[in-house]
Amino acid sequence: MIDIKLIEECKGGNFNNFRKLVGLTSPFAFSVAFRMLGDEDQAKDVVQETMITIWQKLKKIKSAEVYKTWIYRIVVNKCYDQLRKRKRNPEFVADEQTWALISNRISEGPSAALENKETSRIISILTERLSPKQKAVFILSDLEEMSSDEISEITGISKSAVKANLHYARKNISEKVEKYL
Amino acid sequence: MQGKIFLKRLKNIYNKKMENEKYIKVLNILRKSKPVLGSTDNIEKEVIKRIARVHQSRLNLSEVIDFLFGWVYIGWVRRSLITASIVLVLVFVYQQSIILKRIDFLSRQTVVIDRENVSTHEDEIEKKLLIYKNSGRRFSSKTITISEKQMKELLESVNELQIKYKDLENLIEEDPELKKLIEKKLIENNRTKINL
Repeated sequence: MIDIKLIEECKGGNFNNFRKLVGLTSPFAFSVAFRMLGDEDQAKDVVQETMITIWQKLKKIKSAEVYKTWIYRIVVNKCYDQLRKRKRNPEFVADEQTWALISNRISEGPSAALENKETSRIISILTERLSPKQKAVFILSDLEEMSSDEISEITGISKSAVKANLHYARKNISEKVEKYL
Repeated sequence: MQGKIFLKRLKNIYNKKMENEKYIKVLNILRKSKPVLGSTDNIEKEVIKRIARVHQSRLNLSEVIDFLFGWVYIGWVRRSLITASIVLVLVFVYQQSIILKRIDFLSRQTVVIDRENVSTHEDEIEKKLLIYKNSGRRFSSKTITISEKQMKELLESVNELQIKYKDLENLIEEDPELKKLIEKKLIENNRTKINL
């Protein structure tokens, strides 16, 4: 958990405390960026850019309580930009190896933990047909375990739109899971 | 019959549950496997470096402002001086751009008289002059570019021609026989009579 006092000190322009803030903020910013983009280098770039934006606009934050939501919003927006730059894959190709990997991990039980590469492959294959918005809603809700209020604030869409997008994303992913596993 | 429907429903519920279980299992694995950021040091260094670069450029600007307006201690005076200087610079740039535009416009209007090298051939000049003459001097048949040298030659030849014309006139006036002969010739050729 990020200390509110630390954020307040950073707002005052304390550079050393900002280093601490970068250390504390980077992991969860990376988590969202990596899950959204499925690419470690791009996710790191997004984290760096996010941190620079934070430093530039930290003074504009009215209260330190909204810091985490604010960071998520910056990360998600930067991920949208990255996803927009990418060319859309016209045809979905079911990767047999990835499905076999998911199947193996399920059979291994709850103790199974994936490496970054495996995680990115699985998320990519599951969310390939989803729009960036649906992808963001799914990741924030089902993987980052956030409430629909928080997601609505981060993505800037209404609560009902969040629920609709989430429903579509879940349905799409369940169909795939049922079909290939 | 009812038993069959009940079995079908039960099968559907079972399938749905299995499907949900698979989905939940996949989700659980993904939730558990939080992406690991190897080390935050590199990101920290890179971020600090980039921020320092931005900071440095801002510092340079403030140093320049301090150098120029450091002698003013009253805040609002300093700010208004900075604003006035910015406005002056903007006006200067605007004026310069207008002057440049005017110069460009005028340079397109001027006739260039080249001292030595003129690409136009003499025959071409004659042709253009003929067009100009035939058109009743209304159309200039584009622009004629001639050198100063050619202009002098033209004036000299015109003067020479005038002198020769006067000589010829005097000669004809002095000799009535020659005058008669010329008039006769002109009538023969069905030409209009020239009043010499």
